[in-house]
Amino acid sequence: MNALELAERALRAAEGDEALALVQSERSGMARFAASEVHQPTLIENDVVELQIVRDGRLGIASANRTDADGLKALAIRAGEAADSAPADPDFPGLAAPAEAPSVDGFDEEAAALGAEDQARLAAAAISASELDLYGFFTSGLTGLGIASTTGLALSQELTDVAVLALAAVDGASGYAEQTGWRLGDVDPAGAAAAAAEKAKLTRGAVELEPGSYPAVLEPPAFAELLAYFGFDAFGALGLVEERSYAFGKVGRQVFDERFSLADDALDSRGLPKAFDFEGTAKQRVELVRDGVLTDVVWDRGTARRAGRESTGHAPPSSLRSWGPLAFALSVGGGEADSAEHLAETIGDGIYVTRLHYLSVVDPREGIVTGMTRDGTFRIRGGRIADPLVNLRFTVSVPQLLAELPGLTREPVLLNHNAYYDERYPTGLLSPAVATARFDVTGVGSGPGV
Amino acid sequence: MRVYQFRHQRARAIVATPSIEPRAGSKVRAVRELCEHAVATALGAGASYADARAVVRRSQVVGTRNRRVERLDDAETEGIGVRVLVGGAWGFACDRRLEQEGAAAAARKAVAFAQAAPGGHSRGLAAVEPAHGEFRTVVERDPFSVPLADKVDLCLRAEEALLHEDVQVTSASVRAQHEHKVFVSSEGAATDQEFVECGGGIDALASSDGITQIRSYPSAHGGSSAQAGWEFVESLALEREAPRIGEEAAALLRADPCPSGPMTVVIDAEQMELQVHESVGHPTELDRVFGTEAAYAGTSFLRPEDLGSLRYGSEHMNITADPTTPGGLGTFAFDDEGVPAAREPVVREGILSGFLTSRETAARIGSGAGGSMRADSWSRMPLVRMTNLHLEPGEGSLDDLIAGVDEGVFLQTNKSWSIDDKRLNFQFGTQIAWEIKGGRLGRMLRDATYTGQTPVFWGSLDAVAGPEEWKLAGLTNCGKGQPGQHAHVSHGASPARFRNVQVGFRA
Repeated sequence: MNALELAERALRAAEGDEALALVQSERSGMARFAASEVHQPTLIENDVVELQIVRDGRLGIASANRTDADGLKALAIRAGEAADSAPADPDFPGLAAPAEAPSVDGFDEEAAALGAEDQARLAAAAISASELDLYGFFTSGLTGLGIASTTGLALSQELTDVAVLALAAVDGASGYAEQTGWRLGDVDPAGAAAAAAEKAKLTRGAVELEPGSYPAVLEPPAFAELLAYFGFDAFGALGLVEERSYAFGKVGRQVFDERFSLADDALDSRGLPKAFDFEGTAKQRVELVRDGVLTDVVWDRGTARRAGRESTGHAPPSSLRSWGPLAFALSVGGGEADSAEHLAETIGDGIYVTRLHYLSVVDPREGIVTGMTRDGTFRIRGGRIADPLVNLRFTVSVPQLLAELPGLTREPVLLNHNAYYDERYPTGLLSPAVATARFDVTGVGSGPGV
Repeated sequence: MRVYQFRHQRARAIVATPSIEPRAGSKVRAVRELCEHAVATALGAGASYADARAVVRRSQVVGTRNRRVERLDDAETEGIGVRVLVGGAWGFACDRRLEQEGAAAAARKAVAFAQAAPGGHSRGLAAVEPAHGEFRTVVERDPFSVPLADKVDLCLRAEEALLHEDVQVTSASVRAQHEHKVFVSSEGAATDQEFVECGGGIDALASSDGITQIRSYPSAHGGSSAQAGWEFVESLALEREAPRIGEEAAALLRADPCPSGPMTVVIDAEQMELQVHESVGHPTELDRVFGTEAAYAGTSFLRPEDLGSLRYGSEHMNITADPTTPGGLGTFAFDDEGVPAAREPVVREGILSGFLTSRETAARIGSGAGGSMRADSWSRMPLVRMTNLHLEPGEGSLDDLIAGVDEGVFLQTNKSWSIDDKRLNFQFGTQIAWEIKGGRLGRMLRDATYTGQTPVFWGSLDAVAGPEEWKLAGLTNCGKGQPGQHAHVSHGASPARFRNVQVGFRA
């Protein structure tokens, strides 16, 4: 039974109510390795049914993974009880009306067919390609989404995703590379591992750096993660309508470097495409920043109703509803540089950052984010990547960092943005490497390596 | 209403008979037999060791925001996870079907995955007596007997009490969870445990003139939880505390920014709990020390040979791992390898005295027998996780700590947190701070952060307040592992004082 068929069965169990059933199914495997051995291999099979029941404008939600008739009947009872317990909400936008979902890519037969032996084999390919001990994983998954509602929604999508994460590391040296995509052919585990090992060799003998503000080149993994943390709040409509986020009062204004353009585009085949959101609204490409001007944020049905707008198809799963609509498919416009090394030439002197670690938002209104660099931090001297640095503590205002971008690389790459908590829902960002005039280093931490 | 806090106390036996009843309308499930079937199937397929965990969990979340119901969710999940060793290699697979077919399928797939796993593989497990026993959370009032409408009403009343003209966003939430877990291993262990959790919290977010400030109670990031019945949520007195929280959020808009520079800080119990979590709990997880989290959560500045000799902090620093703490989210009778719970010192008078271990990592250092393995659901493999990790109390009151400060700041309630991959360099922000001058609290301050290097920071600890100030708080958002796993852990701490700490990140 596919996800839509299961959703329709759940809907029938809620007979007599206005309802929406959402199904997320997962068939995935992850061969996680450390010190070049698989140590946490995990195979997951699950089907989760969420039932939303609306009674007199009151919404109740229940979920379960028992999908037999008794399980679905019990689910409908719990969702109904939840609806009965909620006060009426005059701002409830109702369930989405049926609309045609866009046709998107995102499913690959080869990726869908991968089994445990394949996942182990591809992990082995990565491990054998690294001269240094390798840490990371190879994973692949098949995610099924299905939505059926009494308003006539009948949507389904099968998504595949594959990813390899490679951290080549020994005592005092570490390098990082990752690849992700929806096609098996999008990733080359051996290539990623070899790149990580090459990077690691350059990190031996890392030295400290005096705190201060430096020009910097951020590789795509570093820039994408920083942008994602900023974007959780800044590019969603909830913070805007509540008049508390960075975007409040800035839509329509030039706030970033004119070389910076950003969209949320789940329809782009270069990313991890989605056809609809968790309310069943068709996904739209939303231009967030055009030539440095903040143009819009992403919307779901609730925030759109409050602001007199239309949903752009960015409702999150119900477990993340407190965030409001989320930009799960950020896509940064490319620049003119051929490579990150060319960006280093552009800035002359500064620092080079491969990857970030443990980010935290210090001040969402100002867009201040702190975190650490890791697995490939270097000084840039005379336009060249030079001596390795220990991991640096940074505390940056992301808007200030984006205010002067001397360059971006031409081709954005897809970065995995899924830590695989809860139900699998592949997400990623398309990002180039960037050069920024200002990256605020506020301390030093441990050296590279394990 | 009494203020309900789990005061500092030693473990007491809370083992009881479980009372899991088959759900109405469902077939009676012999869950233990399913686990035994899974283990037998795995052994038959070539495993040298196997264990199976069947979990049935129900959780409820009620959340309101700006006096509208934002979440009213009731989730159930169930399934079986099977872990095997084949030729020294681990394998893990799971199945949502609590049926013979699902249990056997998970076992066979786990074996197949282990057989295919690349690597040298020679893993041993520390010897333990096969455990047999049961556990049940002591509950005064079953949280699932409390009508959802009452939970909604509690949140809305608390929100109403948060209102202030400068407060832009009010929110309140309560949660409840019931989990039944059965574990069987090929060594003969068989345990049956039933856990009940509850929690809640409120937030007020004030915004004006481009400044946004937040205050939370009883903790940031979703409030605080405990392994207890609904009486814990009632004891939080969310509605009673709300006016103060709303007023403080508004007052922060007009407060001065916290000054920067090295100074003495007094840190409240809640922020100390996070400080312990990040800078002691994670680095002492022995799997991190051995590098198995290197690619994601990170490693540790500690080495196995540091045990018993490394100076972690001053003589005032005493840290204990205690999975028997009443009310702790990390409290159990047996961990997810079937190892009995035991209270163990981690840091004693500033010296590293213990690691958090699994049977595998304990065997590698030839010390201990595990006891800290936990999985966040039936679909995840157990990892070394914190249970309940406490900063042991010292002497005196919070006022005594403050009285000993000529110039400094008092820091309350976490706002931001970050620490490097080896758990050395950290930076925390707090929601509110207070100037200390001449041993007394002064003006309110906003946007406070402090930073340090773990052993240097703990070395500057010069006092911990006494047992009367000790509080236990539970958090539900500790992330680790790939695929990701959330852990629910508790920490107890009293306020503490540190000298010469770098406050602020701006020069």
